[in-house]
Amino acid sequence: MANPSAVCNGHLHHHHQKQNNLLKSGIYKKNGITKGMKKNGISNGTLYKKTFIEHFEQAPMYVAVLTFLGFGVGTVFGYLRDFMRAWGLEKRNVAAEREQQKDFVPLYQDFENFYTRNLYMRIRDNWNRPICSVPGPQFDLMERVTDDYNWTFRFTGRTIKNVINMGSYNYLGFAETDVNALKTVTIELQKYGTGICSTRQEMGTLDKHVELEKLVAKFLGVEDAMVFGMGFATNSMNIPALVGKGCLILSDELNHTSLVLGARLSGATIRIFKHNNMQSLEKLLRDAIIYGQPRSRRAWRKIIILVEGIYSMEGSIVRLPEIVLLKKKYKAYLYLDEAHSIGAVGATGRGVVEYFGMSPDDVDVLMGTFTKSFGAAGGYIAGKKDLVDFLRTHSHSAVYATSMCPPVAEQIIRAMKCLMGLDGTTQGLQRVRQLGKNTRYFRRRLHEMGFIIYGNDDSPVVPLLLFMPGKIGAFARRMLKKNIGVVVVGFPATPITESRARFCVSAAHTREMLDTLLLFTGDQDMGVDLFKVLLSSIRLLKIHREL
Amino acid sequence: MNSRGMWLTYALGVGMLHIVLLSIPFFSVPVAWTLTNVIHNLGMYVFLHAVKGTPFETPDQGKARLLTHWEQLDYGVQFTSSRKFFTISPIILYFLASFYTKYDPTHFILNTTSLLTVLIPKLPQLHGVRIFGINKY
Repeated sequence: MANPSAVCNGHLHHHHQKQNNLLKSGIYKKNGITKGMKKNGISNGTLYKKTFIEHFEQAPMYVAVLTFLGFGVGTVFGYLRDFMRAWGLEKRNVAAEREQQKDFVPLYQDFENFYTRNLYMRIRDNWNRPICSVPGPQFDLMERVTDDYNWTFRFTGRTIKNVINMGSYNYLGFAETDVNALKTVTIELQKYGTGICSTRQEMGTLDKHVELEKLVAKFLGVEDAMVFGMGFATNSMNIPALVGKGCLILSDELNHTSLVLGARLSGATIRIFKHNNMQSLEKLLRDAIIYGQPRSRRAWRKIIILVEGIYSMEGSIVRLPEIVLLKKKYKAYLYLDEAHSIGAVGATGRGVVEYFGMSPDDVDVLMGTFTKSFGAAGGYIAGKKDLVDFLRTHSHSAVYATSMCPPVAEQIIRAMKCLMGLDGTTQGLQRVRQLGKNTRYFRRRLHEMGFIIYGNDDSPVVPLLLFMPGKIGAFARRMLKKNIGVVVVGFPATPITESRARFCVSAAHTREMLDTLLLFTGDQDMGVDLFKVLLSSIRLLKIHREL
Repeated sequence: MNSRGMWLTYALGVGMLHIVLLSIPFFSVPVAWTLTNVIHNLGMYVFLHAVKGTPFETPDQGKARLLTHWEQLDYGVQFTSSRKFFTISPIILYFLASFYTKYDPTHFILNTTSLLTVLIPKLPQLHGVRIFGINKY
């Protein structure tokens, strides 16, 4: 595809490439003949322009066994500690009922906090670390220590400077404090103040919102857009406005809580299909259309498919071309949540729609957030003008929630203008390219080292599988000692055997930062050295032999 | 419960327990086998049929708080492979224990009663049943 914003004679030109340029995309019509969908078209040559490589490598069996043993040992010790606490042999740090209330029915079931008390508390120092600088590619942490094994913390007063930040969703590096870049934001802050204190439908629609919405629509290549103050609330407040009782929601297994909450609040029937599995989705669609609603057998009023662009826990990208073909075949609607993928994938950062070379007209509701790539807060919903006009009157957020505050809107405007090149520089495009380079480099090096990485090769979210519960705490702590801040996730946010460390690559990370990170990650080879070394040496031998 | 590697871990755990018991010098082989069987069934009863709820907070708004772990397995669907596995494993242990104790009457009574305590709660007819109101809340 031609570069949509080429630089000629030092001036930035915008070749207004309409996204639904069918000749260029070549998916649906070739020589006037519509290409049909091949059955089970996973690696379908005409559907995917570039190869879609996703890895979900399974752990070797001994790792799974050791993981379960780890949890078993943790549980046994948990019971032991609970026993000691109950009998007064150990100090009780949790809130407990008063003695006089012991004869009444207990207010809370203490078994529900078993994992929190006995497993999470012991490694709690790896989460909620206070920072004292802007969360850019590097940040400063406040040093804190604990005297009683993470039940309470106290600050030593020192700060740990220049910790490499692998946890912030700072994909394009817009989280910065460069005064020149933020000049317009400070001007707007002086002019408009910080808060609006009104809803969109009363007095909360400012000219800034209108400007932002027009810009978002132009950026995505759609007719209209609407912005909301909060990204989570964009999903949870708008899905109930779009679907209701008698509708069917087909949602991916690993959808975010905001989508799940919105789906539940709407009152529609929810059916779940396996993650990114098109056969499962097709089966659900067929069953829904053939059998209709559960008891009355009437046709569903609407069938809507909820998917995300990039899933943040797995790093996988949605199979958009296949979903769009399915939706056209069965006449369903598609709601695409591009929270992590807007700005992060695609040749010019316009999300998964551009990444697959498709037209934004194919997706009925394009939703996204400004929190991740634009360094701001809030969300948007974009699509046809009728849809957005409907939402302006019927969205719960427009009626009850305050609108986005002006400085934040200005930050998004300046970030988006930079990304589109409207500020006269190529900085936006450079950031997107840098992110792509960083992602590919990082993933390739981690693969070479022999770690198990999940997800698509092009997604900037890189989950590194740790598996064993002991490694969760150890990995995060050791990385902090080396001045690197990582996010680790365990059960129950992930399946029990698949605890992971999640790296979020940013365009602002330099090659040196990534190299430092890789060096120390490799060092933390975490015990099972022999097998990893063996595997990585075999891999290196294979690579050398191929060369 | 049907995660990859769970069954192997479980079998290994039982094997480890048995080896530990066998290595205690004053237990004869029949006694060690009966003890393995009894301790295994006791553990299974406590963890699968006595303890209710979950050790972590679930998003299902407390629907599982009154259910034992066995009743929560596979969301209440009966005769899945995990359920079959956990039903068959005490039976296999029982066969092995009966063989190694040479069908001695005392051992036989002990093993059979402990097998029954662990098999009866697994019957689908007893899903959600609390006899005499024991363990109801």
